[in-house]
Amino acid sequence: MRKVFVASILTALLLVITACGNNTSADGGQVFEYGAQKNTDPKIMGQIVKLLVEDQTDHEVNITEDIPASPQIMSAIDKEDFDIATLYSGEVYNNHFDEDQVEYTTDPAKTLEQAQNLFGEKYDMKWYDSIGFSNQYSIAIKQAFAEENGITTMSDLGEVAGQVTLATDNSWIERENDGYEGYQKAYGYEFADARGMDVALMYKAIENGDVEAVTAYTVDPQILEYDLKLLEDDQNFFPPYDASLVARNAVIDEYPEVAEVLDSIVGLISTEEMTEMIRLVDMEEQSTEKVAKGFLQEKGMLE
Amino acid sequence: MEFITEYIEFWQEKYASVFTYTIEHLVIAFVVMVLSIVVTIPLAIYMTKMQNEKVKSVIFNIANVFQTIPTVALLAIMIPLLGIGFKPAVAALFLYSLLPLLRNTYTGIKSIDPSISEAAKGMGFSTFGRLFKVELPAAMPYVMSGIRVTTVYIISWTTLAALIGAGGLGDLILAGIGYNDTNMILTGTILAIVIALLLDLVFNKFEKKYTKA
Repeated sequence: MRKVFVASILTALLLVITACGNNTSADGGQVFEYGAQKNTDPKIMGQIVKLLVEDQTDHEVNITEDIPASPQIMSAIDKEDFDIATLYSGEVYNNHFDEDQVEYTTDPAKTLEQAQNLFGEKYDMKWYDSIGFSNQYSIAIKQAFAEENGITTMSDLGEVAGQVTLATDNSWIERENDGYEGYQKAYGYEFADARGMDVALMYKAIENGDVEAVTAYTVDPQILEYDLKLLEDDQNFFPPYDASLVARNAVIDEYPEVAEVLDSIVGLISTEEMTEMIRLVDMEEQSTEKVAKGFLQEKGMLE
Repeated sequence: MEFITEYIEFWQEKYASVFTYTIEHLVIAFVVMVLSIVVTIPLAIYMTKMQNEKVKSVIFNIANVFQTIPTVALLAIMIPLLGIGFKPAVAALFLYSLLPLLRNTYTGIKSIDPSISEAAKGMGFSTFGRLFKVELPAAMPYVMSGIRVTTVYIISWTTLAALIGAGGLGDLILAGIGYNDTNMILTGTILAIVIALLLDLVFNKFEKKYTKA
């Protein structure tokens, strides 16, 4: 009995191990790996890529979700664990390169160009032109608080900064160029307090009145849901985070049909459209697959 | 070599904020530990005297449930009740720390040979006299190992306080993950390990001294 048990476990293990090496799809094509960060927009993009690739080619796409942040996605691409992902142009200012390699600018075109060149070379991948939406840092406060104090710009916020606690994700405080230190230099004021926390809890904290301001991402549907006001970046401080698909050069060169699909996604989705899709997923609790499918059907890219 | 000079540079640049995170971490962990010891050990002792098995299992189950609630969920529940920062972090970590200390102390006192207790009774010790002069010293290795295990857990769990705006070394680790800075991740992790090991060492010395005397 015991021998049978051990043998079956070994067989199962062997199957698992060989299954890992086997990346052939049912139609005889390849299975490509797409990696998505914790946020909802790269997850939706994964479904869009998957739906289009599987509809138009014999290949399949496998999506891995909830990778903590972009740097982990990039190392996975480097190790060839992921083939395709969605990344953001402003990442180029995120401590990946020496300061003399990168020129800090808030110009979207220059930022994208630097990301395409620098990351493309570093990880041997193609960084496509923007999908069309951007997901950059901004500062949001409650509508009521904004009206009460007549605040529409980030400069205005300085008037009351002494009574404002800011909730932000854990890295913003430590970021150098586009982080809190740079913000203080650009705007010339600091907040009463700035607390790093989980992004999902950050919105709960402002809703609950524990903090007065949050560093929101521009596509976050919570901005609408919780009646928040995105402040105008009048000093042009926050760099652009235009979303782009990226894919390993080896994959694109060997499978031009996949490259063609990825080409068709350039410029496809505006920030408003992405915000609405994220809202459907985060607030209405629809699946990312359903939302992506609905969007592609509406655009006439899928039957 | 380049790695070493780079790491030294990191410390020169960041030592002030690393220090702040470490202090925040220690303060949160310390408050949680004290709260946990003050509440849990008397409760565990009381439970060893308790005849009602049902109540006992209910208490254990409650402690168990707290430990199984997903962290982010527990922290999210805390925000409407206690807001953000220090207070909800301490409350959440306190709830997480209940089970190991409760179970260890309870098991320790229960495992004393009943004949020792009986002998003490025969010698005319009162209930409290028995507890402090006989039972607790005999159970001390268990209680102390419970405290040690819990302390190590708490130091490691305190990194979660960063999810709710209370700072601590978790802030350094999460910032490093988001900002692509391995030095931050490493420093936060190593400091948490060092603190846990040092405290364990201190308790170990204390335990040896106390149990010999």
